[in-house]
Amino acid sequence: MIRDFGWFEVLSIIQGMGTTLALAAVAFIGGGVFGTAVALARSSAWKWLRIIAAAYIDFFQGTPMLMQLFLVYYGLPVFGIHVSAWTAVAIGLTFHASAFLGEIWRGGIQAVPKGQNEAASALGLGYVSRMRDVVLPQAIKLSFAPTVGFSVQLIKGTSLAAIIGFVELSRSAQIVASTTYKPLLAYGLAGACYFAICFPLSRVSAYYERRLALKT
Amino acid sequence: MATTAEMQHTTASMDAAADPIIQIDNLQKYYAAFHALKNVNLTVRRGERIVICGPSGSGKSTLIRCVNRIEQFESGSIVVDGISLGEGMQNVNAVRAEVGMVFQQFNLFPHLTVLQNCMLAPLRVRGASKKEAQAIAMKYLERVRIPDQASKYPAQLSGGQQQRVAIARALCMTPKIMLFDEPTSALDPEMVKEVLDTMVSLAQEGMTMLCVTHEMGFARSVADRVIFMDAGEIIEEAEPEFFFSQPKNERTRNFLGQILNH
Repeated sequence: MIRDFGWFEVLSIIQGMGTTLALAAVAFIGGGVFGTAVALARSSAWKWLRIIAAAYIDFFQGTPMLMQLFLVYYGLPVFGIHVSAWTAVAIGLTFHASAFLGEIWRGGIQAVPKGQNEAASALGLGYVSRMRDVVLPQAIKLSFAPTVGFSVQLIKGTSLAAIIGFVELSRSAQIVASTTYKPLLAYGLAGACYFAICFPLSRVSAYYERRLALKT
Repeated sequence: MATTAEMQHTTASMDAAADPIIQIDNLQKYYAAFHALKNVNLTVRRGERIVICGPSGSGKSTLIRCVNRIEQFESGSIVVDGISLGEGMQNVNAVRAEVGMVFQQFNLFPHLTVLQNCMLAPLRVRGASKKEAQAIAMKYLERVRIPDQASKYPAQLSGGQQQRVAIARALCMTPKIMLFDEPTSALDPEMVKEVLDTMVSLAQEGMTMLCVTHEMGFARSVADRVIFMDAGEIIEEAEPEFFFSQPKNERTRNFLGQILNH
């Protein structure tokens, strides 16, 4: 049965876009929190902590996200941990994003001049305050552009969640294409939706980068 | 606070080693195979002003950076105001809270305003309230005569102003000792004086000061003792009048000849 490309089809693609946004939000929040931890571990004074963090980063940067999602979704039940698709995808995306963000922010942390840490230490500030008040704000600024670049990749990468059953933007377009036999229209609309999410992000980042540069 | 520099000078010399605020014994420091500090011994009395000079690479900066443990050292002991360094981070932070440091490159926090730069340590280390920290910060910004720049960012100030902010930021912790690591070396010549003036007035208030500097005029007028270092060792130490007029060691004479005759 071939359906027409009507409002229902448009709405299901837009609904898919909502799922994509939700997946991206999960990846950002999880990746942001754990990525900070990975970056701090990676630039820690303790050698073994740096090694563990480096191994973590190497593993998740060196394997495809598709495989990581599979590993979590099918791997956890092997250990008797049964997770919903949402939990699995949240864990998978968090692992993936935290490895990449951790490495990007590690670069930012190490690009902050040594004198900043020394001045903060000389004032008697402890590790937490040195990082939170002095180093991280500058590191975030320094790694702003690659962070946004990776985030855009991540939003597009959430399409992989389709393989464990998510009907997100790409999957919804695929379904619409196969029921209407209008693949160009379906995928064109999906592409426009991705662009509508990613393009403003790039613009906003360019704007904030200019503003941050002016401030100091 | 009304005491003149001269009165300070006499009392400081009379106290001779009676009240050491810094006691450095047999300090050894290596950078990999490079022996940066060779068995350095130094006693600093409360209120004493010491100028450390020497050629670059002589270990003078390394020495004062060991005093607040910004630099680690291999062996020897440093006792600052009764607190021994090298016995865990608790002690290190206790010492750092009492010892202010001013760097060659200012090292102000570029993402914070001048006021926030000064408020940070009182807030985080002393546990002051925002209002208290602000009052402390303004007090010391007035002390270095730049309260009107409080809301600016460091990059908007001249080098001399930035260094005065750095001094104010250190003073906000009401330190007992101030360390200066070539505070005027990165400054344009016309800005050196405003920073030195600030340091002189600090000295007049009786602050214990360790200054690594090549400003020999400052050494002559302010220092109680001038120390000459070369190749990781203290070669000579003397009161400025003797240090400059009758240096004993050959290396000191060469060094002074090079920096004074141009």
